[in-house]
Amino acid sequence: MKKNDFGARCMRFLDAQPHMRKLGIRLISAEKSKVTLVLPVQSQLLTEGIDTYFHGGVLTTLVDAASSVSTLCALEQFELCPTLDLRIDHMRTPVQSESLFVSAECYRVTRSVLFTRASVFQDDPDRPVAYAIATFMRPEGGVTDSAFRAMIEGASDATTA
Amino acid sequence: MQQLLELVKQAHASGDYQPLVDLIPYAQVLGVKCECYGEEIIFRLPSNPDNIGNPTIPAIHGGVIASFMELTALFQLTLQLPQPGLAKIIDFSVDYMRSGLDRDTFAICQISRQGRRVGNCSVVAWQERKSKPIAQARAHFLLDTRVTAEIED
Repeated sequence: MKKNDFGARCMRFLDAQPHMRKLGIRLISAEKSKVTLVLPVQSQLLTEGIDTYFHGGVLTTLVDAASSVSTLCALEQFELCPTLDLRIDHMRTPVQSESLFVSAECYRVTRSVLFTRASVFQDDPDRPVAYAIATFMRPEGGVTDSAFRAMIEGASDATTA
Repeated sequence: MQQLLELVKQAHASGDYQPLVDLIPYAQVLGVKCECYGEEIIFRLPSNPDNIGNPTIPAIHGGVIASFMELTALFQLTLQLPQPGLAKIIDFSVDYMRSGLDRDTFAICQISRQGRRVGNCSVVAWQERKSKPIAQARAHFLLDTRVTAEIED
Protein backbone atom coordinates (compact mmCIF):
# COMPACT_ATOMS: atom_id res chain seq x y z
CA MET A 1 0.00 0.00 0.00
CA LYS A 2 1.28 3.46 -0.89
CA LYS A 3 2.04 6.01 1.80
CA ASN A 4 -0.79 8.40 0.88
CA ASP A 5 -3.29 5.51 0.80
CA PHE A 6 -2.63 4.98 4.51
CA GLY A 7 -3.34 8.68 5.05
CA ALA A 8 -6.63 8.55 3.15
CA ARG A 9 -7.72 5.43 5.04
CA CYS A 10 -6.90 7.02 8.40
CA MET A 11 -8.71 10.24 7.55
CA ARG A 12 -11.85 8.38 6.51
CA PHE A 13 -11.67 6.37 9.74
CA LEU A 14 -11.44 9.56 11.85
CA ASP A 15 -14.22 11.25 9.85
CA ALA A 16 -16.49 8.25 10.43
CA GLN A 17 -16.37 8.71 14.22
CA PRO A 18 -18.67 11.37 15.66
CA HIS A 19 -16.52 11.84 18.78
CA MET A 20 -13.41 12.51 16.69
CA ARG A 21 -15.32 15.15 14.75
CA LYS A 22 -16.59 16.66 18.02
CA LEU A 23 -12.99 17.11 19.29
CA GLY A 24 -11.53 18.02 15.88
CA ILE A 25 -8.82 15.33 16.16
CA ARG A 26 -6.91 15.42 12.85
CA LEU A 27 -4.29 13.34 11.10
CA ILE A 28 -0.88 14.99 10.66
CA SER A 29 0.99 12.12 9.05
CA ALA A 30 0.64 8.43 8.31
CA GLU A 31 3.17 5.87 7.13
CA LYS A 32 3.56 2.10 7.45
CA SER A 33 2.55 1.23 11.06
CA LYS A 34 2.95 4.81 12.31
CA VAL A 35 0.70 7.84 12.65
CA THR A 36 0.72 11.29 14.21
CA LEU A 37 -2.50 13.05 15.21
CA VAL A 38 -3.26 16.42 16.76
CA LEU A 39 -5.87 17.69 19.21
CA PRO A 40 -6.11 21.43 18.53
CA VAL A 41 -6.64 24.03 21.26
CA GLN A 42 -10.40 24.57 21.58
CA SER A 43 -12.65 26.63 23.80
CA GLN A 44 -14.84 23.67 24.83
CA LEU A 45 -11.85 22.14 26.68
CA LEU A 46 -10.56 25.25 28.43
CA THR A 47 -10.97 26.08 32.10
CA GLU A 48 -11.00 29.80 32.62
CA GLY A 49 -8.20 31.26 34.71
CA ILE A 50 -5.81 28.28 34.70
CA ASP A 51 -3.54 26.91 32.01
CA THR A 52 -3.71 23.23 32.82
CA TYR A 53 -6.12 20.34 32.53
CA PHE A 54 -7.94 19.38 35.73
CA HIS A 55 -8.68 16.02 34.20
CA GLY A 56 -6.38 13.86 32.10
CA GLY A 57 -9.41 12.39 30.35
CA VAL A 58 -9.06 13.99 26.97
CA LEU A 59 -5.53 12.55 26.69
CA THR A 60 -6.96 9.08 27.15
CA THR A 61 -9.35 9.64 24.27
CA LEU A 62 -6.51 11.02 22.15
CA VAL A 63 -4.16 8.05 22.72
CA ASP A 64 -6.96 5.54 22.27
CA ALA A 65 -7.76 7.18 18.93
CA ALA A 66 -4.13 7.31 17.79
CA SER A 67 -3.44 3.72 18.82
CA SER A 68 -6.41 2.41 16.88
CA VAL A 69 -5.52 4.54 13.85
CA SER A 70 -1.97 3.12 13.92
CA THR A 71 -3.41 -0.39 13.53
CA LEU A 72 -4.98 0.74 10.25
CA CYS A 73 -1.49 1.40 8.91
CA ALA A 74 -0.18 -1.99 9.97
CA LEU A 75 -2.79 -4.11 8.20
CA GLU A 76 -3.19 -4.79 4.49
CA GLN A 77 -6.94 -4.40 4.64
CA PHE A 78 -9.14 -2.51 7.05
CA GLU A 79 -10.17 -4.67 10.01
CA LEU A 80 -12.27 -3.33 12.83
CA CYS A 81 -10.19 -4.20 15.90
CA PRO A 82 -11.73 -3.53 19.33
CA THR A 83 -9.39 -2.36 22.09
CA LEU A 84 -8.55 -5.08 24.58
CA ASP A 85 -6.67 -2.94 27.04
CA LEU A 86 -5.02 0.42 27.28
CA ARG A 87 -2.56 1.70 29.86
CA ILE A 88 -1.53 5.31 30.05
CA ASP A 89 1.21 6.89 32.18
CA HIS A 90 0.99 10.62 32.79
CA MET A 91 4.48 12.10 33.00
CA ARG A 92 3.83 15.82 33.11
CA THR A 93 0.91 18.17 33.13
CA PRO A 94 0.16 19.58 29.70
CA VAL A 95 -0.73 23.24 29.18
CA GLN A 96 -4.12 24.10 27.73
CA SER A 97 -2.80 26.85 25.50
CA GLU A 98 -0.92 24.52 23.14
CA SER A 99 -2.09 21.73 20.87
CA LEU A 100 -1.54 18.13 21.95
CA PHE A 101 0.23 15.85 19.47
CA VAL A 102 0.30 12.08 19.65
CA SER A 103 2.55 9.68 17.76
CA ALA A 104 1.47 6.07 17.74
CA GLU A 105 3.04 2.93 16.34
CA CYS A 106 1.61 -0.53 15.85
CA TYR A 107 4.85 -2.42 16.50
CA ARG A 108 3.68 -6.01 16.40
CA VAL A 109 1.00 -7.79 14.41
CA THR A 110 0.04 -11.37 15.20
CA ARG A 111 -2.81 -13.51 13.90
CA SER A 112 -5.13 -12.46 16.72
CA VAL A 113 -3.62 -9.47 18.50
CA LEU A 114 -2.11 -6.09 17.59
CA PHE A 115 0.30 -4.29 19.94
CA THR A 116 0.70 -0.51 19.93
CA ARG A 117 2.59 2.22 21.77
CA ALA A 118 1.90 5.94 21.73
CA SER A 119 3.37 9.09 23.18
CA VAL A 120 1.73 12.46 23.68
CA PHE A 121 3.71 15.69 23.51
CA GLN A 122 3.33 19.42 23.05
CA ASP A 123 6.36 21.47 21.99
CA ASP A 124 9.02 18.75 22.08
CA PRO A 125 8.59 15.04 21.19
CA ASP A 126 11.47 14.24 23.57
CA ARG A 127 9.53 15.66 26.50
CA PRO A 128 6.41 13.50 26.47
CA VAL A 129 3.33 14.42 28.47
CA ALA A 130 2.05 10.85 28.49
CA TYR A 131 2.95 7.41 27.20
CA ALA A 132 0.54 4.58 26.45
CA ILE A 133 0.55 0.96 25.40
CA ALA A 134 -2.49 -0.86 24.10
CA THR A 135 -3.58 -4.15 22.58
CA PHE A 136 -6.29 -4.75 20.00
CA MET A 137 -8.12 -7.94 19.00
CA ARG A 138 -8.31 -8.78 15.31
CA PRO A 139 -11.70 -10.05 14.20
CA GLU A 140 -11.86 -13.80 13.69
CA GLY A 141 -11.12 -14.69 10.09
CA GLY A 142 -10.67 -10.98 9.31
CA VAL A 143 -14.44 -10.53 9.24
CA THR A 144 -15.46 -6.89 9.41
CA ASP A 145 -18.82 -5.42 8.50
CA SER A 146 -18.48 -4.93 4.73
CA ALA A 147 -20.37 -1.61 4.66
CA PHE A 148 -18.03 -0.18 7.29
CA ARG A 149 -14.99 -1.55 5.48
CA ALA A 150 -16.13 0.02 2.20
CA MET A 151 -16.55 3.35 4.01
CA ILE A 152 -12.99 3.25 5.39
CA GLU A 153 -11.26 1.76 2.35
CA GLY A 154 -12.88 4.28 0.00
CA ALA A 155 -14.83 3.62 -3.18
CA SER A 156 -11.93 2.39 -5.34
CA ASP A 157 -10.71 -0.24 -2.86
CA ALA A 158 -14.19 -1.39 -1.93
CA THR A 159 -14.84 -2.80 -5.39
CA THR A 160 -11.78 -5.04 -5.17
CA ALA A 161 -12.41 -6.10 -1.56
CA MET B 1 -8.11 27.04 43.63
CA GLN B 2 -10.02 28.74 46.45
CA GLN B 3 -13.09 28.44 44.28
CA LEU B 4 -12.56 24.69 44.01
CA LEU B 5 -12.24 24.24 47.76
CA GLU B 6 -15.34 26.34 48.29
CA LEU B 7 -17.25 24.20 45.78
CA VAL B 8 -16.14 20.97 47.47
CA LYS B 9 -17.37 22.32 50.79
CA GLN B 10 -20.71 23.36 49.31
CA ALA B 11 -21.10 20.01 47.52
CA HIS B 12 -20.50 18.10 50.76
CA ALA B 13 -23.06 20.28 52.52
CA SER B 14 -25.78 20.02 49.88
CA GLY B 15 -25.07 16.51 48.59
CA ASP B 16 -25.18 17.89 45.04
CA TYR B 17 -21.85 17.26 43.35
CA GLN B 18 -22.87 18.25 39.82
CA PRO B 19 -21.39 21.81 40.04
CA LEU B 20 -18.00 20.19 40.73
CA VAL B 21 -18.29 17.88 37.72
CA ASP B 22 -19.24 20.85 35.57
CA LEU B 23 -15.98 22.53 36.55
CA ILE B 24 -14.19 20.14 34.20
CA PRO B 25 -14.70 21.12 30.58
CA TYR B 26 -14.24 17.63 29.09
CA ALA B 27 -16.77 16.21 31.59
CA GLN B 28 -19.27 18.71 30.20
CA VAL B 29 -18.39 17.80 26.62
CA LEU B 30 -19.09 14.14 27.45
CA GLY B 31 -22.19 15.06 29.48
CA VAL B 32 -21.21 13.29 32.73
CA LYS B 33 -23.82 13.27 35.50
CA CYS B 34 -23.22 12.55 39.15
CA GLU B 35 -25.82 10.92 41.40
CA CYS B 36 -25.59 10.34 45.13
CA TYR B 37 -27.32 7.50 46.92
CA GLY B 38 -26.51 7.84 50.58
CA GLU B 39 -22.75 7.62 50.69
CA GLU B 40 -22.49 5.93 47.28
CA ILE B 41 -21.75 8.10 44.29
CA ILE B 42 -22.72 6.68 40.92
CA PHE B 43 -21.63 8.45 37.78
CA ARG B 44 -23.81 8.36 34.70
CA LEU B 45 -22.82 9.01 31.12
CA PRO B 46 -26.10 9.59 29.27
CA SER B 47 -26.42 8.36 25.70
CA ASN B 48 -24.97 11.11 23.50
CA PRO B 49 -24.60 11.02 19.69
CA ASP B 50 -21.33 12.99 19.96
CA ASN B 51 -19.72 10.21 22.05
CA ILE B 52 -19.99 7.57 19.35
CA GLY B 53 -16.82 5.98 18.00
CA ASN B 54 -18.17 3.17 15.85
CA PRO B 55 -21.12 4.45 13.81
CA THR B 56 -22.21 1.07 12.44
CA ILE B 57 -22.94 -0.77 15.73
CA PRO B 58 -23.27 2.09 17.01
CA ALA B 59 -20.88 2.01 19.98
CA ILE B 60 -19.39 4.59 22.33
CA HIS B 61 -15.76 5.57 21.61
CA GLY B 62 -13.38 3.55 23.78
CA GLY B 63 -11.54 6.68 24.84
CA VAL B 64 -14.82 8.19 26.04
CA ILE B 65 -15.50 5.17 28.25
CA ALA B 66 -11.98 5.29 29.68
CA SER B 67 -12.14 9.06 30.31
CA PHE B 68 -15.51 8.68 32.00
CA MET B 69 -14.03 6.03 34.30
CA GLU B 70 -10.97 8.15 35.03
CA LEU B 71 -13.23 11.03 35.95
CA THR B 72 -15.21 8.75 38.26
CA ALA B 73 -12.00 7.81 40.09
CA LEU B 74 -10.78 11.41 40.24
CA PHE B 75 -14.01 12.57 41.85
CA GLN B 76 -14.40 9.73 44.27
CA LEU B 77 -10.86 10.38 45.49
CA THR B 78 -11.15 14.17 45.57
CA LEU B 79 -14.35 13.98 47.58
CA GLN B 80 -12.95 11.43 49.98
CA LEU B 81 -9.81 13.37 50.85
CA PRO B 82 -9.86 14.51 54.47
CA GLN B 83 -8.93 17.96 53.26
CA PRO B 84 -10.20 18.84 49.81
CA GLY B 85 -7.35 18.99 47.34
CA LEU B 86 -6.47 17.96 43.85
CA ALA B 87 -5.79 14.35 42.97
CA LYS B 88 -3.43 14.13 39.99
CA ILE B 89 -3.54 11.14 37.71
CA ILE B 90 -0.32 9.07 37.61
CA ASP B 91 -1.44 6.11 35.54
CA PHE B 92 -4.60 4.54 34.26
CA SER B 93 -5.16 1.05 32.92
CA VAL B 94 -8.42 -0.09 31.38
CA ASP B 95 -9.68 -3.49 30.20
CA TYR B 96 -12.48 -3.38 27.68
CA MET B 97 -14.86 -6.30 28.08
CA ARG B 98 -17.91 -5.52 25.95
CA SER B 99 -18.91 -2.90 23.40
CA GLY B 100 -20.42 0.18 25.02
CA LEU B 101 -23.71 0.53 23.16
CA ASP B 102 -25.41 3.84 22.51
CA ARG B 103 -27.26 4.00 25.82
CA ASP B 104 -26.63 5.26 29.36
CA THR B 105 -23.42 4.01 30.97
CA PHE B 106 -22.77 3.90 34.73
CA ALA B 107 -19.57 3.80 36.73
CA ILE B 108 -18.61 3.43 40.33
CA CYS B 109 -15.18 3.70 41.92
CA GLN B 110 -13.73 1.88 44.86
CA ILE B 111 -10.70 3.29 46.63
CA SER B 112 -8.62 0.29 47.56
CA ARG B 113 -5.98 2.24 49.40
CA GLN B 114 -5.55 5.87 50.24
CA GLY B 115 -2.10 6.65 51.52
CA ARG B 116 -0.49 9.96 52.34
CA ARG B 117 0.74 10.53 48.79
CA VAL B 118 -0.89 7.95 46.54
CA GLY B 119 -4.43 6.69 46.09
CA ASN B 120 -5.22 3.33 44.43
CA CYS B 121 -8.59 3.05 42.75
CA SER B 122 -10.54 0.53 40.78
CA VAL B 123 -13.48 1.48 38.61
CA VAL B 124 -16.17 -0.60 36.99
CA ALA B 125 -18.44 0.57 34.18
CA TRP B 126 -21.65 -1.10 33.07
CA GLN B 127 -24.83 -0.56 31.10
CA GLU B 128 -27.48 -3.24 31.72
CA ARG B 129 -26.20 -4.83 34.91
CA LYS B 130 -23.25 -4.17 37.15
CA SER B 131 -22.45 -7.89 37.03
CA LYS B 132 -21.97 -7.53 33.24
CA PRO B 133 -19.35 -4.77 33.10
CA ILE B 134 -18.38 -3.20 29.77
CA ALA B 135 -15.00 -2.18 31.20
CA GLN B 136 -12.95 -2.20 34.36
CA ALA B 137 -10.01 0.01 35.23
CA ARG B 138 -7.28 0.60 37.78
CA ALA B 139 -5.70 3.95 38.47
CA HIS B 140 -3.11 5.60 40.70
CA PHE B 141 -3.43 9.22 41.73
CA LEU B 142 -0.96 11.53 43.38
CA LEU B 143 -2.63 13.25 46.29
CA ASP B 144 -1.22 16.71 46.12
CA THR B 145 -1.08 17.57 49.77
CA ARG B 146 1.46 20.28 48.98
CA VAL B 147 -1.13 22.22 46.98
CA THR B 148 -3.62 21.81 49.79
CA ALA B 149 -1.02 22.86 52.35
CA GLU B 150 -0.16 25.98 50.37
CA ILE B 151 -3.77 27.01 50.37
CA GLU B 152 -4.11 26.31 54.05
CA ASP B 153 -1.18 28.65 54.80
